[in-house]
Amino acid sequence: MRSATSADRGIRLTTARSRSGLKEIAASRFLLAQLVRRNLTVKYQRSALGFLWTFLNPLLTVAVLALVFSLVVRIPIESYWAFLLSGYFAWNFASQSLLNATYVIQEHARLRRSVAFPAAVTILAACGSKLVELLGELVLVTLVLCLLHHRGVPAALTSVPLLVLLLALVTLGLMFPIAVLSTRFRDVQHAMPIAMTTLFYATPVFYPLDLVPEALQSLVLLNPYASLLTLFQQVLFEGRLPAPELLGIAAVHAVAWMALGHLLFQRYESLCVEIA
Amino acid sequence: MLKRFASHDTHTTSLREAFIHALTGRRASRPKPHFVLHEVDLEVHRGEALALIGSNGAGKSTLLRLIGGVFVPTAGTVRTSGRVAAVLELGAGLHPELTGAENARLYGAVLGLERAVLRSRLPEILAFADLGDFVHTPVKYYSSGMVARLAFSVASFLEPDILLLDEVLAVGDEDFRQRCLDRIEGFLESGGTLVVASHDLQLVASLCRLALWLESGRFQGLGAATEIVARYEARHRPGPEPEARAGEASP
Repeated sequence: MRSATSADRGIRLTTARSRSGLKEIAASRFLLAQLVRRNLTVKYQRSALGFLWTFLNPLLTVAVLALVFSLVVRIPIESYWAFLLSGYFAWNFASQSLLNATYVIQEHARLRRSVAFPAAVTILAACGSKLVELLGELVLVTLVLCLLHHRGVPAALTSVPLLVLLLALVTLGLMFPIAVLSTRFRDVQHAMPIAMTTLFYATPVFYPLDLVPEALQSLVLLNPYASLLTLFQQVLFEGRLPAPELLGIAAVHAVAWMALGHLLFQRYESLCVEIA
Repeated sequence: MLKRFASHDTHTTSLREAFIHALTGRRASRPKPHFVLHEVDLEVHRGEALALIGSNGAGKSTLLRLIGGVFVPTAGTVRTSGRVAAVLELGAGLHPELTGAENARLYGAVLGLERAVLRSRLPEILAFADLGDFVHTPVKYYSSGMVARLAFSVASFLEPDILLLDEVLAVGDEDFRQRCLDRIEGFLESGGTLVVASHDLQLVASLCRLALWLESGRFQGLGAATEIVARYEARHRPGPEPEARAGEASP
């Protein structure tokens, strides 16, 4: 363990045992699994329908949006409901995880004041439990789409795991800095729901990317979720293999945000113990 | 080894304040530093049993957390060799909605027990905690004594090299306390190192060979437990001068 450097910079090193480097996180994988298990168990305890509720809730939103955007504000897509369904759960995963990131550190503050373990594990666990739910939801969505929309099983579905991986990496990468910022500035917790709503409109979830004027498309693609959502729509709605350029953009986003997020987190994570 | 904290309530700035500070060029007002521990120099050898005594706010818990690797010293270094297990806040990590058995597994993972070990020894852990049928009841229905027994039971099965306890032996009935003490003694006999913070001076004197006395973060004495305890009691014996005791109160 190293002694603290200039404390006036506000940056302090964490101890070896609680540093969130890749090695330390890998060493905590059993704990990670137990935390994911805990998150899921607690959520579905004493709930008869359990997981079904997690699925029904966004499904209801999808139903409402589908009605509005095919009957009122008519978006020119045939089987609009299928289009919406193909991307919505990916978005839901992202926004839920990012919102979760604003309080996950505080949630575990008491625990981390007692036992030294990498703070990143709590964030990974939060993302991990949402990911498990997403996987379950995607199975149901794929089933519904194959039965009612495709009337078959497109081969392109094999690329879904890759898309899920990219989605998870981007989301995780964003969760890290959000978690630290929320610890330092309480405002972030209040601002996030509004930010998420705004992001919802800035992301092609309920409208296709090609509806966006050409001039603005490259701007929209700066949003990591724009390419990802479009990819989900391509595979699950159109039933075709993901476009390579979009896949490339999504991959760059995934790597970039993951690397940046983790780096930032390691630098500022000592905050997560002392002022959480 | 020094440990210093800024007072917590002035540390969290709102974005608005930070923005204003940036605009006006004025540096964020530095909160007055509040030192929790001052220049504590401590060396504990393997197999030693050390007690931390002192009034509330003396810095005992902070010291334990520094040893446990939860906090970083502002100045100085902390070096430990071997595996450290800490029971510092009773019930931290236990989730009220999960059952005793589920919590034992979770808490075990938190403390660092390996999956294989945990699986094989879980029945033993639960048996030691003596929870009976409550093992499958959510922990939110447990008494504080039961929570303590569960937490301590898991921690003691960790077989660490260094065990840190923060006033956890206060809870529990006589029978359990005796079993805990037996377990701790067994732990010490097999060469483990113990650092325990406690207000129970009798326990401290009987269990530990050494004692460290802190008041308001400052070193007051280190030596044979019986001797330090005697000095502590002499200072704190209720007497006709109430001022003498007020002087010890933490800032």
